[in-house]
Amino acid sequence: MKKIISELPIFYETAHAELASALEMLAACKRTNSPRQALGYFMHAKDEYNHARSFFKMLSVRGKRASIKIARDFRFKPPSLITKGYISKQGFLIEKMKLKDFIAFVYTNELLAKSSFENILTLVGRRTEEGAEISSIMSDELRHHGMAKKHFLNHYPALQPWQLMIYRIRETINNKGRKIYDANLKFLDRLLTPLYKTMAYLAGTIAKKLNLNEFQRKDKNLMNISSNSIL
Amino acid sequence: MFIGVTGYNHESSAALVDRNGVLIDFCREESLSRIKGDKSFPRRSINKLLDSNNLKINNIERVAFYERPLSAFLHIVKEASLHMPRSLDLLTHQFRNFNRSSVSCFLDFAKFFKGLETKLIYSDHHLSHTLTALAYSNSKKDICSVVVDGFGDRSTASISQIVDPTEINELWECPYPVSLGLFYSSITDYLGFAINEGEYKVMGLASYGDSNSKLAKLVRGLMDWDSSSNKMISDMSYFDYHISTSNSFSSKLKDLLGPARNPFDQLIPGDIDFQRCANIARGAQDLTIYLLRKIFTHAHKITGSRRFLFSGGVSMNSSSIDHLAQMPFVDEIIIPPNPGDAGCAIGAAFYCHLKSNSFSDIKISKPSFFPSLKEKRNDELLTEQIIFNEFTFLERREENAFLKAAELISKGEIIGTVLSSSETGPRALGNRSLLCDGKNKYAVNRLNTVIKNRSPFRPTAPAMRYEIAKKFYKLRPEIIDCYKSMSATCQCLEDNISLEFPTTHVDGTARIQIVKNNSSLDKLLSMLEPMGIEILANSSLNVSGDPTCFDLVDGLMVCSRTKLSYLLTDLGLLKRKT
Repeated sequence: MKKIISELPIFYETAHAELASALEMLAACKRTNSPRQALGYFMHAKDEYNHARSFFKMLSVRGKRASIKIARDFRFKPPSLITKGYISKQGFLIEKMKLKDFIAFVYTNELLAKSSFENILTLVGRRTEEGAEISSIMSDELRHHGMAKKHFLNHYPALQPWQLMIYRIRETINNKGRKIYDANLKFLDRLLTPLYKTMAYLAGTIAKKLNLNEFQRKDKNLMNISSNSIL
Repeated sequence: MFIGVTGYNHESSAALVDRNGVLIDFCREESLSRIKGDKSFPRRSINKLLDSNNLKINNIERVAFYERPLSAFLHIVKEASLHMPRSLDLLTHQFRNFNRSSVSCFLDFAKFFKGLETKLIYSDHHLSHTLTALAYSNSKKDICSVVVDGFGDRSTASISQIVDPTEINELWECPYPVSLGLFYSSITDYLGFAINEGEYKVMGLASYGDSNSKLAKLVRGLMDWDSSSNKMISDMSYFDYHISTSNSFSSKLKDLLGPARNPFDQLIPGDIDFQRCANIARGAQDLTIYLLRKIFTHAHKITGSRRFLFSGGVSMNSSSIDHLAQMPFVDEIIIPPNPGDAGCAIGAAFYCHLKSNSFSDIKISKPSFFPSLKEKRNDELLTEQIIFNEFTFLERREENAFLKAAELISKGEIIGTVLSSSETGPRALGNRSLLCDGKNKYAVNRLNTVIKNRSPFRPTAPAMRYEIAKKFYKLRPEIIDCYKSMSATCQCLEDNISLEFPTTHVDGTARIQIVKNNSSLDKLLSMLEPMGIEILANSSLNVSGDPTCFDLVDGLMVCSRTKLSYLLTDLGLLKRKT
């Protein structure tokens, strides 16, 4: 059971990440003006959708073996793609980034994804059915990385491979930074939770005394109530 | 021009209404973000409304948000505060996320659409529902509005009398936390389905249950109607939705009904846990019908009305509508095609319109079921390479493409459609559908299992013309408009062959769609009928867990990800390369 409990978050988060990638690619496909690029993004999105499906399947296998209480926490809810930060509230990457940066992002992150799948491969075992599936996903990621690189060099021929390397290092640092930030945030959260709860308790004590009956609508013409009031 | 907006709590959306009271455009955020149930600020939808209609911010006279944000926030906090310290997690969550709640609507407008925030007004949540439903009614006067949902900005159900669009008097309300919608969602959660997503699965499952079973009776006892005070009552100790962020039901409910279902286990008829779950679902469905009948009876009593608008999330419970239509005092029930919170954007936009017209010249035109304008872009150019690589054109001319699609359907094939504008509501009515011969068991089964991967206990809807529907189903004139938007189920006629159709549910009902004249389905059926096919099985074009397709790229993606081979589009009939 302990193994399942430790594995569930890995498959849950990876499935989210892959689905978010699919949506990012689909958004890119819809925004480009080039039919060739649209095809590239479309095929990439299709692969990412398939990867997400594979990880959801692996999650489901483990979810069935978990206790109901734990399994309920790992149900997929699509809006969590945003609340968990896999898709930014500000919009898709292609909406926020310059095309050059977007492709560099894809180029770098596909490679980083591949290396993180190495860990999952070790977890499930290389010679298992799931292992074969993950190996195939890793080949896809490598292919995406290669395609992004080719696209990058075709469209920005003045760039040298070492400049791509700088993009990669920059993104690696960003990723590590995000991880440190997340860990700190979680630590801070744990530290501050008692304070938050105390504040909520005090606010709740005040809220208890609120009389909301004044705002009842019974026997009122709803069209005559002020349209500027948020209460 | 006026914009109505919903968001933050349930699916977000935006609607555009012009000065003549015509719904010009409507868009759900999930259609554009491709995240099902997306409840973030509908930035993309508003942008689409502006772009597709060549509008600038200064062309917009007013914007209405569909509820009063602080009221919604305070009612939840007030109720939770009465249950401290058990509710401390919920309270902490509410206060910490204050800036992410609908209270931040003003700031989001200021951030993304500078200038619109100064034009922002607020409508009552249930008033937005009422105005949405009113738009779809032929007559706009002397009608009663019944709204039943999970939670609005103060109540969970209400009855209003509409004298005319300028005088809508609320006569009864059910205060939070007693809520028929949240009760149904809690049972949905208990049965392992996702809240706001799996309610229709519970409805489908209920048909397998036994109303006389012990479990159904236990569930049936969780809520009641108090005839002396005309109130819905509920033993809240079985529910946690008003005190917890993570649990909708309490351990007491588990003690009563047994352990909740593991969401990862498949529910298959005949399996060990299936009948237990079906009986629980049956109890929830019976209770819903019972309470709705009580609410409608009370509505008739206090308003004297025989015509009803019905909206709010609970009105999507299509199998209860047939029961309501049978009540002796009901002459007509109108349900908008998108009666949930997403559809409230339409009501909010009409609210702006009414508020701006100084009530001198009130016009509200009945909206189309397909009001969404296409985005301004060249789909033909954009998808050129995708189609060249992955698909072949079987027919390009519209007439030929429809005829070829009809031929394929008659041979047992399944066709996807991405035609013209998309539907307003959650039900695909032909423009974003998966279609096959509704009497072909093999084809319907393939559509359900191979392509849609649906739970085996959920039926597919049959679509047909009115003349055909009369031959097979017990249609009720009181809800005839509901059949056009798949908002109500109906019984098969007794000893009728329709009982054998693969689109008929185990309890002898079907959620039929009577196709509108001159719609895509009407055109397809006119070609199919000479081939001996008069009923189509109709399901939404999407992969399980995704929103219904919005544009051609989405349709091509569904085709590529599933075993769907044919796609009927505005560009022609496509076949996926194997």
